Amino acid sequence: MQSIPDRNFDSLVTPTRLHRSLYTDPDIFELEMERIWGEAWIYIGHESQIPEPGDYFTTNINHKMPVVMIRAKDHTIHVLHNRCGHKGAKVVESRSGHVRGALRCAYHGWTYRFDGSLQKVPNEKGYEGTGIDLSDPCYSMQSLAQTSSYRGFVFATLSESAPDLETWMGGAKACFDNLCDRAPEGEVEVAGGVLRYEHACNWKFILENLNDTMHPMVVHESIVKAAESYIATLPPEAAEQRREAEIIPPFGASYEKFEDSGITGFPFGHHYDGGKTSIHSGYAVDPDYYNAMVAAYGKERSEDILAFNTHNVLFYPSLTIKCAVQNIRVVRPISVDKFVVESWSFRLKGAPESMLQRTLLYSRLINSAMGMVGPDDLEVYRRAQEGLASSASEWVEFHRQYGKDLTQTDRIVGGGTSDLDMRTQYRAWKAYMEKSPQGHIRHA
Amino acid sequence: MHDPRRIEAFLYDEAAFLDRPDLDGWIALYTEDAYYWVPAAEDQADPINHVSHVYDDRVMMEIRRRNFIHPRASSKDWPVRCSHVIGNVRVRESTGSEVIEVSSNQHVVVHYREEQRVYAFKATHELVPTGDSFKIRSKRVDLINPEAPQTSLVIYL
Repeated sequence: MQSIPDRNFDSLVTPTRLHRSLYTDPDIFELEMERIWGEAWIYIGHESQIPEPGDYFTTNINHKMPVVMIRAKDHTIHVLHNRCGHKGAKVVESRSGHVRGALRCAYHGWTYRFDGSLQKVPNEKGYEGTGIDLSDPCYSMQSLAQTSSYRGFVFATLSESAPDLETWMGGAKACFDNLCDRAPEGEVEVAGGVLRYEHACNWKFILENLNDTMHPMVVHESIVKAAESYIATLPPEAAEQRREAEIIPPFGASYEKFEDSGITGFPFGHHYDGGKTSIHSGYAVDPDYYNAMVAAYGKERSEDILAFNTHNVLFYPSLTIKCAVQNIRVVRPISVDKFVVESWSFRLKGAPESMLQRTLLYSRLINSAMGMVGPDDLEVYRRAQEGLASSASEWVEFHRQYGKDLTQTDRIVGGGTSDLDMRTQYRAWKAYMEKSPQGHIRHA
Repeated sequence: MHDPRRIEAFLYDEAAFLDRPDLDGWIALYTEDAYYWVPAAEDQADPINHVSHVYDDRVMMEIRRRNFIHPRASSKDWPVRCSHVIGNVRVRESTGSEVIEVSSNQHVVVHYREEQRVYAFKATHELVPTGDSFKIRSKRVDLINPEAPQTSLVIYL
């Protein structure tokens, strides 16, 4: 077993190779939870999930630490450790809901205001003269170290020293703008429920796969061929069937097409593929939606918004969004070989409902555990997880187009089939693990 | 009124195609305008404005059927075998409608990737009398745990 360094990870991560223990070693996993998931901004939820005071949504901020996002009476949003200040019991058990008055622990009935402050302890006189100071925040439901939101997307971090959210997002922030600007009213809201998909492999596989444009034509070849062979049997008047089936073939786009879409990387591990073009740019635009956009923004601005066409955007390590499809996936590790992905869909405010329906169609076909794309992705991650138990080599490689990335002011750009996405996220991985600064692009 | 034993026997026939599994034989039991639905929420009212685990019309059923036997579908490299047990069959026929609504409780053990997994659900079939048998106009699969994290499932339940 490779020993785990403390401050220098050169023995595990090189510019072109990763040590296999990154995927298999439980001790490395625990250190990732502390140094990456404990330092980065982690996506919690969307403000539209909790519109009224007392509305809440619960999740974990890493592999196990429970948190609750709740709207207070003054309408501010708080992300609290979901832990009673008394004996430590989780206070809120449901995934989402509404509480009246105060949060109340099910064990001894301590109650908390929606900002987490302690409201009342039953039979409080028993504490008189004991020296306890119940106003000490350690007896409240404590806030996360920092909570912030951008255009309705709420993040929190366990780190006091993390830079502010917008600095941390850097140039990738434009992707949230694009997602929201695609709504004629400039806002989105969660709609249409959630899919949860359990993956029996290391959490980093899905992040590596997002902008791995060398896999779709291999992994998804069968479903593309199945869809194409079916489309070929359709009569010309079967427009509805064709429209439904056409969501699949872009997953088998050619190497050349993916190469043209490009990859863009930012500090802190964020990256996207596409921009001017992506595999989503061939989808037909609903004319009612187009007209609503033009009415809101004018023709030129509408077309600029719709022309910015990214495929997957990663906000490392917890969130990936598809601006053009109004869909996000939230990643939560569980153990070194297990994680869960949640897929959420968004309504574009002011757009026809057909846009939401398209998003939901996309999600059930692509992101569902019973879909036609996700199971083939998970299958290859699991084969990698199993294959990396082999000692045949200690390394996995990511050399593609190494040395050809172009450094710009706040970003690095490269070919769409390059491993720039790997270089970007593992530069961040290494910096987080080594506790070294990473707020700017380092010139290679 | 149709003989309930004939309706039960038809459900067993459908299950036998899925147990093998034989999707070519299975899909032939469905009408051209059929759909197959696995909601992602309890009591889900709507397959269009809420996400589902599966909501396949004939188009998607045809694509899945072709994909299921495609040699490059790596998630299908593993043998899939199922065992359906069907009980609590209830038949609802209404006058003036040719559609027969049938609900049943089904427990399915799925063998996949060297694991055995259990799915428990209420199935709701809409059957249309056709010749001396029936065709399925719709099948709804209400899992008892629709909101739990699911792992890959490559076969219809």
